[in-house]
Order: sequence, then C-alpha cells, then structure tokens
Amino acid sequence: MRWKIWSLKKSVWVFHVNTGACNNCDIEIVNLLTPKYDVERFGIKLVGSPRHADALLVTGVVTAQAAPRLREVYRQTAKPCVVFAMGACACETGIFNGAYHVVGPVDKIIREVDPNAIIAYVPGCPPKPEAMISGVVKALSVL
Amino acid sequence: MKQQELNNRLLEIKDKLIDIEQKSENRIFLLCEAENSYAVSKFLFEDVPLRFLIATGIDSDDCFEILYHFSNDQTGCFVTVKAFIRDREKPAIESIAPFLPAAEWIEREIHDILGIDFNNHPNMRRLILSDDWPEGVYPLRKDTKLPILRVAGEPSGRPIIQSQSPGRRTVELSKPVVAVGPFHPLQEEMEFFQLTVDGEIVTDIDVRISYNHRGVERLSETLQFDQVPFLVSRICGICSASHPLAYINAVEEIAGITPPDRALYVRTIINELERIHSHLLWVGLGGHFIGYDTVFMWAWKYREPVLDLLETITGNRNNYGNVKVGGCREDIPNELIPKILEELDKIEKKTEMLTKAVLDDPVLHARLKGVGTLSNEDAIKYAVTGPTARGSGVAIDVRRDDPYAAYADLDWNVITRTEGDVFAKAVVRLLETFESIKMVRQALKKLPDGPIAVEVKEIPPGEACGHAEAPRGETFHYVRSDGGNRPIRHKVRAPSYVNVPSFRASCIGQHIADVTLTLAAVDPCYSCTERLAVVDGHNNVVQDYDALLKLSREKTARIKKEIGAPEIKLEDF
Repeated sequence: MRWKIWSLKKSVWVFHVNTGACNNCDIEIVNLLTPKYDVERFGIKLVGSPRHADALLVTGVVTAQAAPRLREVYRQTAKPCVVFAMGACACETGIFNGAYHVVGPVDKIIREVDPNAIIAYVPGCPPKPEAMISGVVKALSVL
Repeated sequence: MKQQELNNRLLEIKDKLIDIEQKSENRIFLLCEAENSYAVSKFLFEDVPLRFLIATGIDSDDCFEILYHFSNDQTGCFVTVKAFIRDREKPAIESIAPFLPAAEWIEREIHDILGIDFNNHPNMRRLILSDDWPEGVYPLRKDTKLPILRVAGEPSGRPIIQSQSPGRRTVELSKPVVAVGPFHPLQEEMEFFQLTVDGEIVTDIDVRISYNHRGVERLSETLQFDQVPFLVSRICGICSASHPLAYINAVEEIAGITPPDRALYVRTIINELERIHSHLLWVGLGGHFIGYDTVFMWAWKYREPVLDLLETITGNRNNYGNVKVGGCREDIPNELIPKILEELDKIEKKTEMLTKAVLDDPVLHARLKGVGTLSNEDAIKYAVTGPTARGSGVAIDVRRDDPYAAYADLDWNVITRTEGDVFAKAVVRLLETFESIKMVRQALKKLPDGPIAVEVKEIPPGEACGHAEAPRGETFHYVRSDGGNRPIRHKVRAPSYVNVPSFRASCIGQHIADVTLTLAAVDPCYSCTERLAVVDGHNNVVQDYDALLKLSREKTARIKKEIGAPEIKLEDF
C-alpha cells in the first residue's frame, strides 16, 4: 500500500464530478488549468474517465438523481483514490441543507460505497483557486 | 404594440375571464377558470401576439393556481393568465404545449412538483425529479411533509443500466443511438443527451435533466425575504448577480420601494461586469469545443482581471451577495473608480484583440457559419431569450424593453444578428462584451452620490414579477407574499430553461460532429435550468463524448486543409 500512495502523490490526474453544484466551483476548477494558475505545470490534469483518475474533484450537494451516479463513478476509479469535496455544498450541503432533492453531502454517499475512502475537504463558496491548490497540497502532504 | 393597443386587444376575450387586474401600467393579471385558460393563452400567443415566459403552479388554500406569464416586449409589459383549478382531488387543466412548444417543459415540471394533470400534453414524462422519487409525492404541495425518506439507491454491484423511469424514452432498437452524459469530460455539469442518428445525421434528440435539481423554490419559502438573495445567487454561479436582482425587482415592486440612485448604479456595474466575464467564458469554451484551445486559454486569461475587479468591489470572485431589498449592501468607494476605469481599458484592449482574432479567422468562418441554425420562427416558437434570440433576429433585451437598475440612463446598443447560426451567436456575445464595458464606464463616471440603501420595514401582501437580463438571457422571478416575513411562493425561470429545449429545432438534421458545438452555442446552464457515466445499454453504436469531440476536431482539421489555412506555429505568437 505504501508504494501505491507514494505513486499517487506525484502528477495527480483528476476527474471532475459535478453532483448538483451551482457551477461556481466547477468554473474555478477549470480556471486552475488556464494561464493564471496553470496547475498542469505540476502534472495535475483533468482526465476524461474516472478509470484514469488518481483523485475525484467532487462539487455540489449530491442530488437524488446524482447520488447513484456518484457511487458508480467512485467504484470505477482505481484505488487508492483521493476524493476532494470542493466547496461548501460538497463538504456539508451548504445553503441547500434540507432541500427535498438533496441527499448529500459527498462524504456520506462515498462512505456508503467505501467506508475507508480518503476524503479531503476544501470549504468556501466557492473556494478561490488558490484555496483549491492549497487544499490539494495539504491533503497530499499528509497522505 | 403600444400599451393602449394591448389593453384594447385584451378586452376582446373579456367574456372568458373572471376579472382583469391591472396592478400597474405594465403589469396585468387576467383571472379565469381552468377551462378557459387554453383559449386565453392561445389568443395571447397567436393573435396578439405575446412572448411566452413561463408558467407557475401554486398550491393555494382552496384551489390550485396555474399562472401563464406572457410578455409584450415593445413596452416591457407582463400579462399573466391566472387560471384557478377548483378540484383539489384530481386537478387537471388543458395543456398549451401543442401550440406552444416552449411550455412543454414547464408543464412537465408542474406535473412533477404539484401533481396537476395536463390534458393532451404531447410528452408527459418525468422532468426534474429523480428516477427513484416515489410516485404521488409532490414536493411543492403545502400538505406534503418534508423531508421525504427515499430508497438509498441500488444496493451494490453494477448500476441499473436501463433506467426504468418514465424519464427515458424507449428508442426503437433498429436505430443507432448516441448517448452523451451524464458525465462527460468537457461539460462541467451533468446532463444526459440521447441522439438518434442516421449515418452522420442526427434525426432526433432527447434530454434527461434532474441531476442538478436541488429544490430552490421550496427552500426559498423557508427563508426570510432578506435571506433569499443569498440562496438565489447560488442557483447559478455565473448568474449570481442577475438572479438576486430579478428577485429584488419583484419584491421591491410588491413593497413599492424605490432604492436610491447610487444603489441602482452599483447594481448595474456589477451586473455588467458579470456579463463580461460570462461572455468571455463562453468564447473560451466555444473555442475548446472545436479544438481551438488557444482561444480557450486566451479568453480565460483575459477573464481573470474582471474577476479581480469583482473581488475588489464585492469581496468575492463570484456569489457577490451585494444586492438587498431596498438597495445594496456594499458601496463602490469613490477612490476605487480610477483604478477600475484603468483596468477596464486593459480589458477592452485584450477583448478587442481576441474578437478580431476570432472574427477574422477563416477556419472559424468555415466551421461555425451555417451550423446549428435556429430560424427566426423557431426562436419565437421556443420563446428563446438572450444572445440565442438576438442571434436569430429577435431583438429583445430586458435592459432596453423594461429598464431596471440604471440602464435607462445609459447609452448603449442592443446587438442582433439575423443568421441564427453558431457564428451569429458568437458575434452577438463578443460585441455585447464591448457594450458592457461601455456601460460600466459610463455608470462609473455618472455614479451619483448619496446613500446606497433605504430602510425596509415590511413586505406587504401581494404578488409581482421581476426580471433581469442575465448573460444567457432573461431571468424571471415571480414572488408572492402574504404579509409575513417569508415568500409563500417563489418561482424562478432561468434563461437556459427556454434556450435548452430549442436544441430540437437546431440540432435535428445536423452532423454529429456539429452537435457538441450546437449544444454549447446557447451557453446552457443546467444548474440554472433545474434549480434544476451511465451509458445506455442499447445494443447499438454507443459513442462517448471523447469520440464526439474527436469528430468535431477532425472536421475542423479537414476544413482547414480544404481552405488551405496555414498551419499555426508557436513562433507566430
């Protein structure tokens, strides 16, 4: 397991999962790839399939319709896989707490699939790109 | 149509109505029984004619109300048909979707959330509730107990590939189907498209939403009037200035509040800055979809200074939370104005360069012209708004038609194009960016002194509609108050809600390679729409989004070769 974690920490490939977000966190995530922040310098890149991903960037409250899809995406990832709950909604459903179509937060749904999942939280509404980078760095340095 | 003329036309159907309530010069409510709503709506849409906005379903104490909102764009007048359904046991009303495709989605939605049957609806399937939502539980009925317990999803193992929900149309197995979504690498949000194809040509398109439905309308009823702006600004991250503003416009109309001038100007500035960054965002994504990543990187790079400006003014890059009933929360300090103006000059120069690069590019002309055309008639039939409408020659813009904030004081133009293709929509958005920069500059120079808010004691009983021009089109909010401190009904209609269904008109008959681009051309926003990968198990050709994207990019490369465009080298920049 040690070497698996070790190999995970360099050049993290991420898959972006929107589970009912307002788009802000998602746009800030895409923003990370554009010239001002440009995380591709560090080998971090968005990939098109969860099967290629080292980490999931999950945004949004997890709506009733999105929950089964989120579980399935998590199952498809190669383990170990770090789940990043990006933004207040993903961390604890935020302002949408108690809405009828919300079944989240993200950690609850992920733990239904894998009780030992590695989950990191980046709060903020939306977290600034700098905060996202800092969150990823912090999480990877304690792994 | 002039206001007087409209008033006269409305008298023609007087015998079908219970009453005509004229709340103000350009806010008219027509009260009728459910049996007559079809005839009245048909008269308004086909004979007058008015533009359809949206419908609202309300659970009143003794009956259900369906409100069909129409708009006369020449005077910015709202005409609302309020139909009463007296039978609470089996509520039903005649569907208006057969002659008005724009109403198809909202009637499905009202059926989902209130359980009202629409007779003769062409396509009554589940729209915004999830596949596993229990039948017969209607979240917006007042007597429904929330939260509702639900099954936790499939127990383990593989997912349910073939959804049993009525949300998925059964497709004849002889036809190849291309499934797109719900997750695919480029689109930031979840949505599911099902394209039926004949060779390379798309013959039918179907969409399943619900992934992003959070239930904002019900949640809004639990918040105080002053808290709701924080909620509605989180309906959509890129419209986080226009949603609260439309809501505030409605509430201020109920309470008869006129905010101070300075507040109106601050609202205008924030809204226009939002439009600049949103349009640049779209241009970047548009470039990305056709394999032109340079445009993507450029546009997003030049978008950053706008976000920095917004952060300087409001304290946050998005979700500004700056507007409140009666004014604004934060002022723009006068000493900041020179800095903002200076920054605007830079942004304008960069945007100009980007626009020239995009509009002069022969490859883009060949790739975007004549693609995904939405004709003028279809644009009216689907009641599209914003750049999507203006690209098809429908010259509507709330900022001019029914001025709110400080738009009436500013000098600017409504940009329209008649072609209706993707190129026209791109041109409209790019040129609008300059108009927005112009507006911000004027507003900053004219910014009047004075307070930024008036004190609001209470919101009296009443109902009102408010709208605002979001980057994607008209955002419409309907608010009803009973004199308490919470809205008893709050309806939100985001622009994508009417723009997205126009796919049926613009995608069918197109090549698969053009579909991603056509879908992106209306700048769809599903979090707005729904306040609003499981790939189909058909034994046919199933392609994923990567393959679609590759097709699109190959077509660009092919065109490049055909027209002999030079290979772009890094040294050229």
